[in-house]
Amino acid sequence: MPRSAQDWLDLIRALPLEGRRVRVMNVCGGHERSIAQAGLRGALPSSIELIPGPGCPVCVCPEEDVYEAIQLALRENVLLTAFGDMLRVPVNAPKGEPRSLEQAKARGADIRPIASPMEAAALARANPQRTVVFFAAGFETTMAPVAAMVLEAPPPNLLLLLSGRLTWPAVAMLLNSDRPGFDALVAPGHVATVMGANEWRFIVEDHGLPAAVAGFSPQSLLAALYSVLRQLLERHPFLDNCYPELVTPAGNATARRLLDQAFTVDEANWRGVGVIPASGFTLRPHLAAHDARLRYPSPADAQRKRAGQMPPGCDCAQVVLGRIYPDECRLYGRACRPDAPIGPCMVSDEGACRIWWASGVRTPRAA
Amino acid sequence: MCLGIPMEILDINGYIARCGARGVEREVNLFLLQETPLKPGDHVIVHVGYALQKISPEEARSAWELFDQMLDAPGHA
Repeated sequence: MPRSAQDWLDLIRALPLEGRRVRVMNVCGGHERSIAQAGLRGALPSSIELIPGPGCPVCVCPEEDVYEAIQLALRENVLLTAFGDMLRVPVNAPKGEPRSLEQAKARGADIRPIASPMEAAALARANPQRTVVFFAAGFETTMAPVAAMVLEAPPPNLLLLLSGRLTWPAVAMLLNSDRPGFDALVAPGHVATVMGANEWRFIVEDHGLPAAVAGFSPQSLLAALYSVLRQLLERHPFLDNCYPELVTPAGNATARRLLDQAFTVDEANWRGVGVIPASGFTLRPHLAAHDARLRYPSPADAQRKRAGQMPPGCDCAQVVLGRIYPDECRLYGRACRPDAPIGPCMVSDEGACRIWWASGVRTPRAA
Repeated sequence: MCLGIPMEILDINGYIARCGARGVEREVNLFLLQETPLKPGDHVIVHVGYALQKISPEEARSAWELFDQMLDAPGHA
């Protein structure tokens, strides 16, 4: 009989933590949503902190890329398509210019939200006389389908503006910094489904920290939490797999091969974070005909005020790095709310601020 | 964005499968599972229209129960 969430909670409460502060980071919007909706933080001993880290691909998509997408969408004959989350992400555009894809759409740009890369190819097929630009942000889970689509011979009028990122390099960057901010990691279940659990071995082998891959049920998350807490107490870190029904050590070999056939991995910019080595996907030369960046050189951006930065007053960069909780942002629940979001973490369904708001946290934390 | 949804394969035509879940039908691309033997009645985890991994019917059921809880949760955006 599998253990219930209550069983796992009882096991965790029985651990001899004696008020020892333990910070456990997750790097997946889906994990954070389950934690927030199930109210796990309130059910755990108060010495255990669950910290949402860099788990939102929309939030870390470079501001420059969103600005570039807006400029492309405003071109004659371009039809721009993107996952729906991207449309409301704000950029720091000069006064009078559209500050999101949604605003560009309101000014007549042809922008279509989609839910699958297959729809981007279908749009290109249905509009052969137009250039269709697919602005694709996402982590490995999403970029594997993007790779599949671009390798399945899409029409020549389909271009990709890629903002895909690998998840683990941001965690490595945190661990190599002087302020990692966590003592154990819950690794993302669907990223690991594609890439394999082994991608997270470096947490244990290079940094000596406990790690466990988790699924999305409270049971799986609590099992992973129990695992990393025991690893800490026993001073025996290892990579545990608490999502074995989907995750294998090496992942989906086909998906990994297709990712490698479609993309190289290069240093890449993360919004609010900066450049991280070997963390972003670029189309390989044999797919150059589908690369929007080669067809349309990036707009001259050096003079634009606050290019690359988060909006003024927005603490999304700190939220993304797990250095503050969403409700510790200066704007949370005041100027920044889901109906009028200021930062990307309040825009995206994967953003920690949006998730906290949806789970009922409506007021900023008292200082 | 990285969440996958379990679906049952209803029929397969090349790399495209018609899949169903709770009465909803969708076209699902099987390109990422081209080396995995699949047939109608099998279950897969689907993310942005692509099947990522085959799962057992029991796992599909428990994943759907989780999904229902999340959709029923108050304040779901």
